[in-house]
Amino acid sequence: MSAWERSLLILLVIVTTGFGLEVPGFFDDISGFLSMTSNFLPFGIVALGLSLVIFTGGIDLSVGATASLAAVIAAQLWATMGLNIWVASLIGLAVGGVLGGINAAVIVFLRVEPLIATLATSFIYTSAAVAVAGDAPPSGFPDAFNSLGSGALGLGHFQLPYQLLLFLPLAVLFWLLVGRSAFGRKLVTVGYNSEAARYSGIRVPRVLAAAYVISGMMAALAGLVLSAYYSAARADMGDVLLLTTIAMVVLGGVSIFGGEGSMGGVIVAVLLLGLLRQGMLIAGFSDMVTSMLTGAILIGSIAVRNLFSSRAGGFGRRLLAFVRRPAVAGTDITRHDAP
Amino acid sequence: MINARRMLVLAAAGTLAIASAVSAQTVDTSKRIKVAMVPKLVGLSVFKANQQGAEAAAKTLNIDFLYTGPVTASAQGQVDVFNSLIARKFDVITTTSNNPTQLAPALKRAMKQGIKVVSYDSDVAPDARDFFIQNTEYPAFGKALVDSVAKYIPADSEVAILSSTKDATIQNEWISALTAYMKTAYPKMKIVTTEYGQSDPSKSLTAGLNILQAHPNVAAIIAPDGASEVGAAAAVQKLGRTGKVFVTGCSNPDAIRQYIKAGIIKASPLWDEVKEGQLVMHVARLAANGALKPNDTFSVPGLGNYTVKDKVIIFSEPLIFTAENIDQYKF
Amino acid sequence: MPARRPVVAPRFAMTRELMLVAVTLGLTVMVGLLNHDFIGAQNLRFMLLNSVVLSLVALGQTLVIAMRGIDLSVAPILGLAAMVCGLLAQTHGLSLAAALPLALSIGLVLGTINGLLVATMDIPPIVVTLGTYSLYSGLTFLYSDGTQVDAVPPTFAAFGNGHLLGIVPVPTPVVVLLVVLALCWYVLRHTGFGRAVLAVGNNASAAYAAGLPVTWVRIRVYALSGTLAAFAGLMFLCYTGSATVTAGTGDHIELQSIAVSLIGGTAIAGGRGNLIGTVLGSLFLSVVLTALVFLHVPPIWYSAGEGLMILAAVQAGIGRRRGARA
Repeated sequence: MSAWERSLLILLVIVTTGFGLEVPGFFDDISGFLSMTSNFLPFGIVALGLSLVIFTGGIDLSVGATASLAAVIAAQLWATMGLNIWVASLIGLAVGGVLGGINAAVIVFLRVEPLIATLATSFIYTSAAVAVAGDAPPSGFPDAFNSLGSGALGLGHFQLPYQLLLFLPLAVLFWLLVGRSAFGRKLVTVGYNSEAARYSGIRVPRVLAAAYVISGMMAALAGLVLSAYYSAARADMGDVLLLTTIAMVVLGGVSIFGGEGSMGGVIVAVLLLGLLRQGMLIAGFSDMVTSMLTGAILIGSIAVRNLFSSRAGGFGRRLLAFVRRPAVAGTDITRHDAP
Repeated sequence: MINARRMLVLAAAGTLAIASAVSAQTVDTSKRIKVAMVPKLVGLSVFKANQQGAEAAAKTLNIDFLYTGPVTASAQGQVDVFNSLIARKFDVITTTSNNPTQLAPALKRAMKQGIKVVSYDSDVAPDARDFFIQNTEYPAFGKALVDSVAKYIPADSEVAILSSTKDATIQNEWISALTAYMKTAYPKMKIVTTEYGQSDPSKSLTAGLNILQAHPNVAAIIAPDGASEVGAAAAVQKLGRTGKVFVTGCSNPDAIRQYIKAGIIKASPLWDEVKEGQLVMHVARLAANGALKPNDTFSVPGLGNYTVKDKVIIFSEPLIFTAENIDQYKF
Repeated sequence: MPARRPVVAPRFAMTRELMLVAVTLGLTVMVGLLNHDFIGAQNLRFMLLNSVVLSLVALGQTLVIAMRGIDLSVAPILGLAAMVCGLLAQTHGLSLAAALPLALSIGLVLGTINGLLVATMDIPPIVVTLGTYSLYSGLTFLYSDGTQVDAVPPTFAAFGNGHLLGIVPVPTPVVVLLVVLALCWYVLRHTGFGRAVLAVGNNASAAYAAGLPVTWVRIRVYALSGTLAAFAGLMFLCYTGSATVTAGTGDHIELQSIAVSLIGGTAIAGGRGNLIGTVLGSLFLSVVLTALVFLHVPPIWYSAGEGLMILAAVQAGIGRRRGARA
């Protein structure tokens, strides 16, 4: 486990115990505590898929829109065409994969930057979601489906939320995929240096396509879980996903430029940011204040990391260099590295 | 000579007066309770007026009062707040809702834990609350909305509706009331479109502009929401249609004063939001004490007597703001 | 030995601007034939006015993108400036003359914070501005407690909707925009700072080696972006007569400003900035959205239209380069 992951884990323990002791209602019993995870695990599901994309040096701004669109399509298939809700959900997952595939196509074939490509597709998917949702967005799903989002499995006198049962195996799967498989290695290599990856025989377009398709499917899954949780599918349901999941991935130690990081860090970051938010909401803080804290932690964590790494060479040194900058370029022979 | 009948009437009146005074003062305020007010969104001026009244009443009723909620008209946001209130073991949750069914699961969970739920203004599913304070009778309000503009436009005009959100309970009640009334009283009048401003002034402005640009023959906009009435009036002003298009809705007097004076809004119905806030607190107190039955009567000093019928309490008649009285009200 | 001057971005032909003007005019005429009101003076004025706030924000964003950065926090900066000025005006009678320096200072401070985090702490701009997005939005909420501003003094409304000094027949905001555009254009094309911005965006290491104060340039560009966004916030307040906690962020003006910069010809890879193109792109967007309303296209399709336009604009890019993101 890297130093970063260890620090995150320690932070997680501190936050959990801190809230448990200080905030009434946070930790009444283990089942209640675990049931809180149902509030933020959809973000975790998206983060798993989004990490793959960020590993390749790309980004997927369309995760929120994909989640909404896939969920709304599945819901309408159930509501207006009478399809079985589980079959509709599987179709929703497939739709997520297709949407991710479209992203990949725009990036690879139209050669558009991932930022712009997914920005554009997010606009298009949002429109489609609003159109499919129509005047009366579907709601009131069967109880069996809703329990996926808000229910739990009873084990003796102890309740394990279904969302947790869904997330944990996925987390392990992704952890193995990135850390222990050939695909994972290819993924990271592409992000580190896509030219070198190509020269070493990696089929870069295929790797990218896989990453975006998986990201789309995970976003769709998150959308379905959210609609189970609220027992309603709305076109704006996924809006809230994007910023927090990027924060979770970056906090987890994955470099936004790609090529660096691990899944373990992301999983801990998901739990950390999720429990932090829940704790603050239960304590009565507004949602916006909680987001402020997330933003501060995001910036703070990278800043701290940079202070101790070779990337920035230390804040103090930089400040000094800024102050002492040479009047004429090239005369400060003590500097070897570029900014 | 002593008129026995008159004496009897006086005696009866006297007893009743004493009795009601006594009953009004017998609201049990011995136990301090925590009551939360969760509006559709915290920033809308009409809800802030509710807050004003509620805060004042809370002081006399030994209530620990909290005003909280989402910053945009979001049912999900309200659910998140309810979860927090349940965990913090509040005694009463009062709310006006963005959506009749989406809040029900969380509120039912609250009720199961012994928390009383009182809805006001925009209702939730009846089995998810203990009592509901209805602003006014819906047909009366629908009539007031239509009459506020119909008097100033030709009988066969095109009219548009600018509402808050698609599923807001109270807006939808008013819209069905006004459409029904319009069909009978002004059969030649047509509603050409319904748009939504999300209870946000700039989104309402955009929606108002969209209406006027897409339907240039619209003669009136009925905007039954605090932000949408302002947005519609601003749109009329921005496109220079003052005098040709009239607006009505239900916004607080401070926000619409300039448009009433400009002649864009001739009449605008509402009710005393500050007093309604006081009533909400009183009902919350009575509910927490277990002192109110689904069919009952009670009175509140300074506000009046109220009847509870099937857990519903009607607050007042529509109060119409016009150029004559707009300066008398400040909220 | 004197410091070598950095490589200046090549002057490119005005094809993108001309294309935008042609497409905008063409669209206006086409819709005008279907609906005469569209081409009437009142609507033309409206479409022009409607594009001003976005243009102001996008000008700052263009400079940031030209420097190979990105600024997502322009949305909450706009919102905070609008809210602070709006609340103070509505409840404490703040004058327009006092609101202007107040708004500019807010933007300057918040933008400088962005710049410091990017330039001295070496945190990627997308991460910094993502973080400050939530920080600044939170500030707006804390300051206003969720209150909505819905009534501004007449001076503010006149600034946002009236004609300059009542005599010049062009709306005040448009005049203001043209002045700001001229200033930015001059800075970018005719000052050392402007050339440095392009050089840093083109190749930061080379710029550093050539002696440019890269860190200082970065800080200033983000400061400028923040200041413009805050000014746009004041303009938003005056134009719409309102402010809410979600002003700016609700419409995702940060994404729109990026879109409009791209449509205007600025490349995401940095090294060049087309300010006039950005303003034209914003006007084009305003015309398209108004046309959709006039043509009774359901509002649900507006978002898709924007997305397709971004893709088309990027596809038609001149000298568009693939490269690392900001």
